[in-house]
Amino acid sequence: MSTIIDVQNIQKTFGRVDALKEATFGVEKGETFGLLGPSGAGKTTLIQLLTNQLKPTAGKIEIWGQSIKELNKKIFRQSFGVLSDNSGLYTRLSVYDNLKLFCDLYGIPHKRIHEVLEIVQLGKEKNKIASKLSRGMKQRVLLARTILHKPTLLFLDEPTSALDPVNTSHVHEGLKELTKQGTTIFLTTHDMTEAETMCDRVAFLHEGCIQLLDTPTHLKHQFTNRSVSLTCTDGRVITHEYAENQARKIYETMQQEDIIAIHSNEPSLGDIFVQVTGRKLV
Amino acid sequence: MKTSINRMQAIFIKDFKDVMKNMFISSSLLMPIILAFMYSRLDDVSIDLIYLIVNLSFVAVAFLIQCSMIAEEKEKNTLRSLMLSPASVFEILAGKSALTFLMTGVTIVVSIKLMDYVPGNSLIVIVAILISTLFYIILGTLFGLITKSVMEASVMSMPFMVIFGFASLFENIAASYKVSYLIDYLPNMQLIEIARMDEVGTTFLEVIPNLLIILAWIAAAAVVTVSVFKKKEMND
Repeated sequence: MSTIIDVQNIQKTFGRVDALKEATFGVEKGETFGLLGPSGAGKTTLIQLLTNQLKPTAGKIEIWGQSIKELNKKIFRQSFGVLSDNSGLYTRLSVYDNLKLFCDLYGIPHKRIHEVLEIVQLGKEKNKIASKLSRGMKQRVLLARTILHKPTLLFLDEPTSALDPVNTSHVHEGLKELTKQGTTIFLTTHDMTEAETMCDRVAFLHEGCIQLLDTPTHLKHQFTNRSVSLTCTDGRVITHEYAENQARKIYETMQQEDIIAIHSNEPSLGDIFVQVTGRKLV
Repeated sequence: MKTSINRMQAIFIKDFKDVMKNMFISSSLLMPIILAFMYSRLDDVSIDLIYLIVNLSFVAVAFLIQCSMIAEEKEKNTLRSLMLSPASVFEILAGKSALTFLMTGVTIVVSIKLMDYVPGNSLIVIVAILISTLFYIILGTLFGLITKSVMEASVMSMPFMVIFGFASLFENIAASYKVSYLIDYLPNMQLIEIARMDEVGTTFLEVIPNLLIILAWIAAAAVVTVSVFKKKEMND
């Protein structure tokens, strides 16, 4: 794998406020990288720095092996897509007209509109006026607009915040389709389930600093207490803490009780975040 | 260059479709025309009255419509998407201004036709009106960029609409103040001056100083507008 985004000691200050104190990480080609953190942690600031909407106070950002300052603006913008929670649509225009504008701006044929609407499962809504769409549908149109020009790098700032589970699932399916096609995704979220299901690697951002960075599986293994819970048919849960003879104890319980489920008690990413930072992801 | 025209055209077509469904813009377009129709019933329509309507078209169409179109793009967070697209500052601003330019032209032509105005030297008047339109569109763009919503843009632009649209009405009152000569340097007053000169007969050479003053306003407004746009492109 090759590194697409390389961030070294990046800092961003607004007046006296340190929005980003220190962040160093890399994003590999084709991976879905999740940046997790509560509101105000600096996630949006980081996306704006990576998309050249903000200039860093200190540090270095390289995209495709080239300093972001030296990248040709037009070529760079042809290659990435950004979906933020404050992206908007032209509400008086139809879904099709909204997408047509961006097809023309990116110089791509209009038949692509049908392809992206199929990806976000809105093929039947193309003639609907944007203002008549539900919030979830609007978000899916925005995602369609973001991927219209087949960006190789996609920045998604809380793409499913405030969406219902059905719409969230539609968005996730669309994103998985893109990763299959080789798109690199940089995703910010405070939804742990989203991070676990979508991301190859996650970084915890807290108070402007990256606290942890690894795959969700490694993080869970790193922070597990290795206890195992057995659920009985009568609803009782018997937990075996980690010990040398743990396997034998579990076996004995299974012989003695009527067991319907066995779970390893791995912490969720949310639990790990609380453990590392001392605060919840809200 | 071809691509750049395509982008401007795309923004123009989008704005055209959007404007067709916007009642605020339709009513702003009609206001100067209705007034022109009412004044055309008068026995004698003075040159000052004709240019009051022309200046009203500038502030109500070129300035206010451009201002609200840009402010609405900001309010609905669509301007950011345009800024993040491959379209350049020029392509975005030119694309967004083209429709306003056209609407202003149509409003002025209809208004002056209704008032039976025939300039002495059409070329002088057309050039003066064209460059004045440009100034008001740039000013509207600037106000659209510095305000956060259509409502804020409408309120903030009121004093400027009065100054740039109706300064001729205050000409006599202002004459008693020491700074009154400053009013003469306003672009709308320069346009009226050109029209008065044209009425009594003038040459292109004689109106060049007036045109240069309007061009100076354009240059100043354009520099500020482009720098504000570039600043807005970066979120710093």
